[in-house]
Amino acid sequence: METINFILDNTIMNTTFQAWISVLFTLMMLSFLFKDNPLYKLGENTFLGISLGYGWVKLWELSVVPFLIRPIKDAYLDFQPYDLTMIFWLLMGFTMFFRFSRTKAWVANYYFAFLFAYIAGYEIPVQVQQLFIQGSNMMKPLLEYPTFFEISKWFVIIFGTFSALMYFFFSKPQKGLLGRTARIGIIILMINFGSSFGATVMGRIALFIGRAQVLAADWFATMVLSSLIIVFLFVYFKFIHKEPGLDDEQMH
Amino acid sequence: MEKFINILKKLDRRWIFLMIFLSCIIPFWIPSLFDQEFSTTKETQRVYDIVDGLKENDAVFLDWAFDPTLQAELLPMAEQFLKQCFDKKIRVFIYYPFISAISLGENMLESIKKEEKYSYIENGVDFIHLGYLPIGVDMMMFSMYSDFKSTFGKEGKIFRGIKTFNDIKYLMAFAGSTYPESYILLQRRFGFKMGAGVTAVTGPDFVPYLQTGQLDGMLFGLKGAAEYENLRISKGAEKKLNHRANAGMASLTLSHLVMFLFIGLGNLIYFYDRKHKKN
Repeated sequence: METINFILDNTIMNTTFQAWISVLFTLMMLSFLFKDNPLYKLGENTFLGISLGYGWVKLWELSVVPFLIRPIKDAYLDFQPYDLTMIFWLLMGFTMFFRFSRTKAWVANYYFAFLFAYIAGYEIPVQVQQLFIQGSNMMKPLLEYPTFFEISKWFVIIFGTFSALMYFFFSKPQKGLLGRTARIGIIILMINFGSSFGATVMGRIALFIGRAQVLAADWFATMVLSSLIIVFLFVYFKFIHKEPGLDDEQMH
Repeated sequence: MEKFINILKKLDRRWIFLMIFLSCIIPFWIPSLFDQEFSTTKETQRVYDIVDGLKENDAVFLDWAFDPTLQAELLPMAEQFLKQCFDKKIRVFIYYPFISAISLGENMLESIKKEEKYSYIENGVDFIHLGYLPIGVDMMMFSMYSDFKSTFGKEGKIFRGIKTFNDIKYLMAFAGSTYPESYILLQRRFGFKMGAGVTAVTGPDFVPYLQTGQLDGMLFGLKGAAEYENLRISKGAEKKLNHRANAGMASLTLSHLVMFLFIGLGNLIYFYDRKHKKN
């Protein structure tokens, strides 16, 4: 046991080792930007495997044990009438497995019926309430808005929404006033798509900055490992990897 | 000109990746070159003011709905929010709706504890990890409004005086998805005060809730986090220990400049080609 602890302390639990592994896997994943290669595949599969393994262990520890196994054990040792509700829902949960049977799949429908009824019963009123809150906020007198900018926002929202809807109105030819409104509508839609795209790019860059922080913090590891990865990619694509020929392409 | 346009047309996309990569990483190595100042939005100011206005021993509820994939934007926000709460001696209840978020939150608190100023903070006294519950926000809220402590089955001095969610002064949800909407849906029903810290991608979805007052304060993307850091620094927080988002802002700016450059060049090629085709 001591040997195992020694190995763990000097590998997985060692902060320097952790930092190098973090840099190595970041660079391995980024190597895909050059070309699909075995290092990227290794990084991808390692990530998936660790994520799934970690997720399952945590799910078992934080969800299955405290909310299923422990209550059942307690009920077995000291049964109380209210434990019947737990057993009822446990059995209801198990009915989901009937989905695997072709002839008895209908049994699972009772559980789904309850689930959908609950979701509809809860969601519909709160979503309608949400619509009223948003709608009533737009119906305030314009002079109640504190600044001219706020008032202009109101016009943009109301007329922007209307003109964007008109763009999808195909019951009449889009000429004259309808055509001009639809033209404003498409401009509004383009501005919307543009801003969404801009925000997405900014978000993606921000995500990469998270990785760049790791690489910049351990610059020595970054230099050494990126050099090794470049050498590997050169050797792999120059001498090992065979470009698919005509015969290979035909096979696919 | 035509030679230059032809070079640009044949430019391998990997050179663009390399430029973006360098523009992100160089500012971390030479931070002084890219120092910049920017104004604070009223949404960020609002979050700061709300926490600043709370009294000693008040309690806030922090919903930590992000995992390491979103830490670049959301971790600096959460860090500053926690530090501001600890500065004001406000109790923090941290809930994790996703299993993958737990270790990130625990590590963050451990790293805050390592700072001399916050070495006194203790789990169960100044903050508590409420853990994960395999139930939706709706059921959790109903339960918290009935009995706060028994919802999570945790013990500690921190629960002193907290019977239901009514005793919580502010709810702050950090997420990279539309998850905080689950709280917003219940906000009017229960009347709690809440804010959100969201990524740049999801930020625009929450603006309508600011206008109706359902959201009281919002931190928006990396810039929101940097603004929050600057607010704390302006009130005496040490810059060296509170610059995670500001360090990223220089990268964000430089990488955007590189992108603008390539967008400009792309447009130049397009208009040049169009003009020459006409001729």
